[in-house]
Amino acid sequence: MIQPNTYVTLRGDVFALGDLDVAELEFVDDLKERAETHPDWNDFDNYWTSRIGSFYSARGMDRKEVPKTVVWKIAQDLSGRIGTAAGLVRMPDYRDELEFLIRREFKSRREFCEKTGIKEDMLSHVLARRKHLSIDTLMEALSRIGRTLRIVPLEVTPSQD
Amino acid sequence: MAGKLTECSFLIPIHPDNVAEPVGHSLAHWEWLLDETWSRFGGGTAAPGLYSGFYADVDSGDRISDESRKFFVAIAPTELDKLRGLLMEACEVFQQKCIYLNVGGEVEFVYRIDLMN
Repeated sequence: MIQPNTYVTLRGDVFALGDLDVAELEFVDDLKERAETHPDWNDFDNYWTSRIGSFYSARGMDRKEVPKTVVWKIAQDLSGRIGTAAGLVRMPDYRDELEFLIRREFKSRREFCEKTGIKEDMLSHVLARRKHLSIDTLMEALSRIGRTLRIVPLEVTPSQD
Repeated sequence: MAGKLTECSFLIPIHPDNVAEPVGHSLAHWEWLLDETWSRFGGGTAAPGLYSGFYADVDSGDRISDESRKFFVAIAPTELDKLRGLLMEACEVFQQKCIYLNVGGEVEFVYRIDLMN
């Protein structure tokens, strides 16, 4: 069950809003209100990226730390909802997660394949969205690199209200 | 005072090249671009709307039509290779053979690393 006073992203990440300070909460409220007016996707991105820069630089936060903040992640999610509602963005699935896991944590697709036991040509098909991995294959491959699957709450996008 | 900056813009097509499903990029792809542009250059601007265009595929010669998002960044001349590096990665992330880059009015194409030379 989704707890009150939380923000659940389209991907099922849950952020406790109680961990934010008053100014951050006001910032998030402002972004949510703006997103509800169905702005142009690019306009919304320009709005929040310009505001969040001055917001956190006034607190002395290093620029590279800003994308790690909850406010940034919520803004990204709101942006994604606008892009999704406009039919320009699709919801990510496990194949996107695999792609970014490889990008972040492995030197190459080959290294990932060596460590997980997935064949390179199969991975290529999967990442190009031509094929799927079976649940068993995926679970076994992930367990070899200390990962697993999880089931997360499904959020309803604004276009489906 | 900061030195002279050059306005650069680049186009990211909203659909990948050569994929089975005719769908746009995922939320994760666009988040990656925004995170990286922010972290490497401290900001950028997205032009409103989408840009429609067409080009001849570098391999098949077929006419390809696409729609793209256009982004601007203002960078020092010394950061230009850093921007090209970001776009080379973007070619992989967004599954493009190359990306259109405008550097102060001069256009170049940044190719995916395995397609260079």
